[in-house]
Amino acid sequence: MDNPYAFIFVLCLVLGLLSGIIMHRSDFCIAGMFRDLFLLKRTVMLRMLLLLVAVSMLLFELLRLYGIALYPFPPTGSPSPAAVIGGLFFGIGMVLAGGCVAGTLYKMGAGSFLSFISFVGIIAGSLFYAEIHPWWTAFVKRTTIFQGRVTIPQIIGIDPGFPVIVLMAIASCLFFRWYKEAKWERPSVASGYIQPWKAAIFLAFIGLISYMAVGKPMGVTTGYTKLGAYLEYFLFKGHLEGTAFFKAKSLDYVHPLTSIRMQGGAGPGFDVISAIEFPLIIGIIFGSALSSFLLKEFRLCFRVPYRQYISSFAGGFLMGIAARLSQGCNVAHLLGGLPLLTGQSILFLVGLFPGAWLGSRIFVNFVMSQGGQRSCR
Amino acid sequence: MQVIKYDICGQICPSTLLTALKEINNYSQQLMDGEITLVFYTDNRDAVTTIPESAANMGYTVNVTKMEKCYMLEISGGRK
Repeated sequence: MDNPYAFIFVLCLVLGLLSGIIMHRSDFCIAGMFRDLFLLKRTVMLRMLLLLVAVSMLLFELLRLYGIALYPFPPTGSPSPAAVIGGLFFGIGMVLAGGCVAGTLYKMGAGSFLSFISFVGIIAGSLFYAEIHPWWTAFVKRTTIFQGRVTIPQIIGIDPGFPVIVLMAIASCLFFRWYKEAKWERPSVASGYIQPWKAAIFLAFIGLISYMAVGKPMGVTTGYTKLGAYLEYFLFKGHLEGTAFFKAKSLDYVHPLTSIRMQGGAGPGFDVISAIEFPLIIGIIFGSALSSFLLKEFRLCFRVPYRQYISSFAGGFLMGIAARLSQGCNVAHLLGGLPLLTGQSILFLVGLFPGAWLGSRIFVNFVMSQGGQRSCR
Repeated sequence: MQVIKYDICGQICPSTLLTALKEINNYSQQLMDGEITLVFYTDNRDAVTTIPESAANMGYTVNVTKMEKCYMLEISGGRK
């Protein structure tokens, strides 16, 4: 392979397009899965996330057994309570924004102007984080535990296959019970609806392809930060050049297919982050847009209660900061780290639950209290 | 029969569902008596699943019609 960057770029674009179509058709909203647990006591979609995590865990373990993927994947670090704090803020942010970092993209692609506002908020939040990065890095270094050990099996010193077998046995029992109780099918009259359980399996295989061919499962938030860095480069070049965060190479690994060393960071300039995350971002947006155009559902609507604009921006801003505080967004942690049982991702999840609860309380008391409707039709 | 229309297109999740649930509860007596129909226009695909699901669980009749660039959800019929 002469140019792994071109290969990665094209592959990630295809994976992004497929993800965008699938997420739009099944409304695979991870923010909604956590929010509805607290707001509506509804767990139907959280089951789909569990299926996605379980299938990914099995597939990733097969990759490890056959030695065709990096274990653990880069750039995961050892656990730190920083991930809990990041998870907490991320949980609040995703509920206020009405979608996580991937949900924002597919909803924006389908014409949601509020999701575009969240998109801008995520970029703004990432840039804000760049200002506090030196202070936060020092905190992470001070609080990191089990230095050099990343996954739970590494921490407790057991074969990674053992917990996977135990968890798969438990998951299989649960899944079979839900099958007997007919809890997998979700009746919907939305056109072109893809059942979320099918979407979960599709997305697990997309994660598998990314892990095998790119070297890591999907992630998009450093891409957001990089977009912000380009903006800052044009507006405040001097300031950007003096910001340590933009000089760091957060991703530094050997590409498993080509054995070529690849590096990338949040700073402006084409590198492996650009080759992975820009096409994923573009792909999800355009995949969803294509899906909604085909269904004749694409529409732009601006006339919504003003508090929803505030909520979308604030939620995006919080997600932008939080994804960097916890060294990864929900996609990287829940669809990448959790199936591998990394300490960081488990701690992120620990913070995500109370965050989503808090976000739901704020949403009901601040956003919904405005009420009202403004005609878009 | 009185028909009240709500345009909740373009709104953030889950305000579409919460607005619909609030209005269904506000008019529960009239809905039960079959005096009123509530019509919601939404472009939120998730709400097209969750609003009918919730209203049906509450015992109402739900009709969904796909229109140009949005869905029309009619809640009526009184409790079964």
